[in-house]
Amino acid sequence: MSILGDWDVAIKTPIGTLAVAYSFSEQGGTLVGTAVARGETVPLRDIVVDRQQVTWRQSVTKPMRLNLDFDVVVDGDRLTGHSKAGRLPRSAVTGVRRA
Amino acid sequence: MHAQIVLFDGFDPLDAIAPFEVLAAGSDAVGGDLVVELVSAEGPRPVVSGTRGMVVHATAELDPAKPGYILVPGASGPIDGDPDVVDTIPVLLARFGETGAIPLLRKAMANPDVTVATVCGGALALAMAGLLEGRDAVTHHLGMDMLEATGVTPVNARVVDDGDLVTSGAVTSGLDLALHLLDRTYGASVALAVEDLFAYERRGTVWTK
Repeated sequence: MSILGDWDVAIKTPIGTLAVAYSFSEQGGTLVGTAVARGETVPLRDIVVDRQQVTWRQSVTKPMRLNLDFDVVVDGDRLTGHSKAGRLPRSAVTGVRRA
Repeated sequence: MHAQIVLFDGFDPLDAIAPFEVLAAGSDAVGGDLVVELVSAEGPRPVVSGTRGMVVHATAELDPAKPGYILVPGASGPIDGDPDVVDTIPVLLARFGETGAIPLLRKAMANPDVTVATVCGGALALAMAGLLEGRDAVTHHLGMDMLEATGVTPVNARVVDDGDLVTSGAVTSGLDLALHLLDRTYGASVALAVEDLFAYERRGTVWTK
């Protein structure tokens, strides 16, 4: 199973755990994605897939303004990895595929 | 002109009171031209600080239309701990960022007659709320990495004067910030008079563009 599809993801941040819904799809041969949290939908940038590993960038404003870099590994219906905001320590990221 | 110091739940008392005292003394030195007030977004109310439950009373509502300075202090609280369990400083600052103060501060930043000033984590609170995108600023040294992650250009100086935004570092730099504001508006003699009264001389070089 690839990253394609919908995911419920928890991100541990300095201001608490955020629940974010991700959606990855293919449009014209290109992988695109969005993240939804607290009513805000943001597009994912620079999505790169290397077998099980997926990386991307996103800028969020809710619950706070942050530039985030993600690096996760997909294993079937689960994903694990981390996000990083600038030079801050990594934040743990875990997700499950939405049924 | 006015100097409004914004109190919010969990604020750091010294971040607010050090500039309050300096600006009040400056006001006396200029014959009361500067009206110094402790305000909150919710209007007059007792505001519980982040240090041992110390309460300070806001006497007016934050008004972004009043010309002058609006000063935002940082928060006081635990630095370490699981933010899902403990109200750490970033949690307190983020919580402030979801109050009615932020729309008012957004208006203040758009008002050419207002200079927004911050002490300690105050800059981080505004940055987390998305108000400092692309600006040059400083915050408490422990918060500089997070400040950068919000899209701000971090500057290592005790006081950073970016025109209508003047930020300062950890707690005691609020003294230097307020003296700089007095100097900027009323001249060095007023700042010197307050320094003499308080037996304090400014530290550091103020960053300017």
